[in-house]
Amino acid sequence: MMVDVGTRILAVEDDERIRTAVKMALEDEGWSVEEAATGEDAIDAFARSPADVVLIDIMLPGIDGFELCRTLRRSSDVPIVMVTARADTHDVVAGLEAGADDYLTKPFAPKELSARIRALLRRARPGQPGHQRLAFGDLEIIPEEGKVTLAGREIHLTKTEFRLLCELGSNPGRVFSREMLLDRVWGYGYFGDGRLVDVHVRRLRTKVEIDPANPRHVVTVRGLGYRLQG
Amino acid sequence: MPRSRTRGLARFRPRRLGLRARITLLFALGALLLSVVLAGTTYVTTRGALLRQRESAIVRQTFIDAKVMREGLKVANANPAELMASVQSVGTVQITVVNGKIVPSNPLVGNNVLPESLVERVNVGVPARMRFDFDGQTQLGVGIPLVGVGAAYYEIVSLKELTNTLRSVAVALIGAAALTTVLGALLGIWASRRVVRPLAEAANAAEAIAGGRLDTRLEAVDDRDLDLLITAFNEMASALQSRVERDARFASDVSHELRSPLMTLSAAVEVLQGRREDLAERAQAALDLLSSEVTRFSGLVEDLLEISRFDAGAVKLDLERVNVGELVHAAVAVSGYEHDVPVLVLDESAGDAVIRADKRRLARVIANLLDNARNYAGGATRVTIERPDGADGDGVVIAVEDAGPGVGPDDRLHIFERFNRGTGAGNRGLSEGSGLGLALVQEHVKLHRGRVWVEDRPDGAEGARFVVELPVVTP
Repeated sequence: MMVDVGTRILAVEDDERIRTAVKMALEDEGWSVEEAATGEDAIDAFARSPADVVLIDIMLPGIDGFELCRTLRRSSDVPIVMVTARADTHDVVAGLEAGADDYLTKPFAPKELSARIRALLRRARPGQPGHQRLAFGDLEIIPEEGKVTLAGREIHLTKTEFRLLCELGSNPGRVFSREMLLDRVWGYGYFGDGRLVDVHVRRLRTKVEIDPANPRHVVTVRGLGYRLQG
Repeated sequence: MPRSRTRGLARFRPRRLGLRARITLLFALGALLLSVVLAGTTYVTTRGALLRQRESAIVRQTFIDAKVMREGLKVANANPAELMASVQSVGTVQITVVNGKIVPSNPLVGNNVLPESLVERVNVGVPARMRFDFDGQTQLGVGIPLVGVGAAYYEIVSLKELTNTLRSVAVALIGAAALTTVLGALLGIWASRRVVRPLAEAANAAEAIAGGRLDTRLEAVDDRDLDLLITAFNEMASALQSRVERDARFASDVSHELRSPLMTLSAAVEVLQGRREDLAERAQAALDLLSSEVTRFSGLVEDLLEISRFDAGAVKLDLERVNVGELVHAAVAVSGYEHDVPVLVLDESAGDAVIRADKRRLARVIANLLDNARNYAGGATRVTIERPDGADGDGVVIAVEDAGPGVGPDDRLHIFERFNRGTGAGNRGLSEGSGLGLALVQEHVKLHRGRVWVEDRPDGAEGARFVVELPVVTP
């Protein structure tokens, strides 16, 4: 399947052979790929011309993948996919907390990476027709414009955080299970990693809650999932 | 190590007491020996002194009485009995022998009271005394020849009071000795506890280390002797810890080293797969081989790393409440066997049973069992979900059945060991397995507090049935 010409991926990987092979495979999938061997190179390249998606190997010489992720996040809401060694290590949670949107474990199939990138680039699903403006107390979402305001002040969310918030807001008061959110936001099936949801909810709370430790908007419903309320 | 050494000693001295018992026994024996020696010496000395004192008093009195008797007997027709009555003291039996005629002060006393040896010595003209037993009591007999009147005068005094005194002393001393021994044993118990306490602490620490808490150390104490043990123990623990950590690092290094070439391989193979149609037929066949081997190699590396992580105790579960029916259906669906293997919920309540599980790990369990059936038994015939103890039971069972040759009773435990390929070990054929699949199944299930085993098919048909039993969450 071909995608929009000109969708650019910045692949940050210190192993040249992996970089070359992954670039070839991704280009076959129709993406345009830019390479960086170190975190420093990646920051320079991104500053010159921001990519649409960034792929970061966590094990990098110099500044590591987590630091690179945090640095990029300070100036951009670009979707970031992390490549970690293992799924059950703390690396995954640390990477997500550093700002990554999704992760893959090495070795992954490039087709799987393409699928992940496509899922991340999907536009936020607009709310039900007529819901141009979703209000939850002092929290307002304008899906069409991709805008969120808290007490009248605009706040910046990453694309994935915004989509998560829109999903939760699409059906006010309803409880969304981790599986449901994994499916709707990330496009994962039954065996998706629930930690993606948990960490993104935590990240979202630091932005849309006045006191993230006592959330009033994004509420946990024990054993069931999450709910957005006013 | 220390364990096997202890066992070695025990073999050579099979009935040897423990250290604490030995220390206690030594203290008790020491106390017993000391107190026996002390008590014995005290008794002998006391007895000697008391006897000497009493006897010399009796002898002195007898001499005085004998003098009176001799003076009295000089008078013609003197009555020895009357004379004796005039000098009599309480508790004393007097006997006067005048010209071979025995006159006792107490008519009840017979002629045979005096020991012969005493009489013989007095008869030759020597004053003598002698201790002898009479009437069940120790008596002191003193005999004095009455020179010039042809008579001899004897006094016999019971040493009963003295004997009683000495018996009381002996009883007191034996009691003291026994008490001292008991105190010695108690002291021994206390001392042995003190001696053994550091050993017990070392044993606890060693157990903790064996249980995986590698940073366990013994606390330093202000004792030169113990310090040796503690220092040696802590050095051993540090050496062990750094070695285990080195091994763990090695495993993760290997992981990274193997993953990188695999990553390149799988990406490159995918590029080739995208151009498969451009390749000649032979090249396509070669590409398919390459592709399937890369997949298999990835699986092998995954399995090896997974098992080494189990060994390092580094596996963490991402537990959540999971509906068993949904899980099994989803696991079979992603395993790639969904068109060949039906999933049957045999008990109504089984499908909705809820367990606490790491979904992706349990999916691996089911996938590995399905792979195992494919590799060794021509493929699974069905997957069943059951509640063997009914809806109120505490377990739910997921079983994978096949129509293969089955697993013999002797192989049923070994089959879950690593790299065990059953009796047909040499016959690998087109098997895709790493030899770790069932070992990983067992580790995963154990981590979920469940059990896994293999049995015959319940319907009696040929084939094996691999059973995973997991605890159900009570709602």
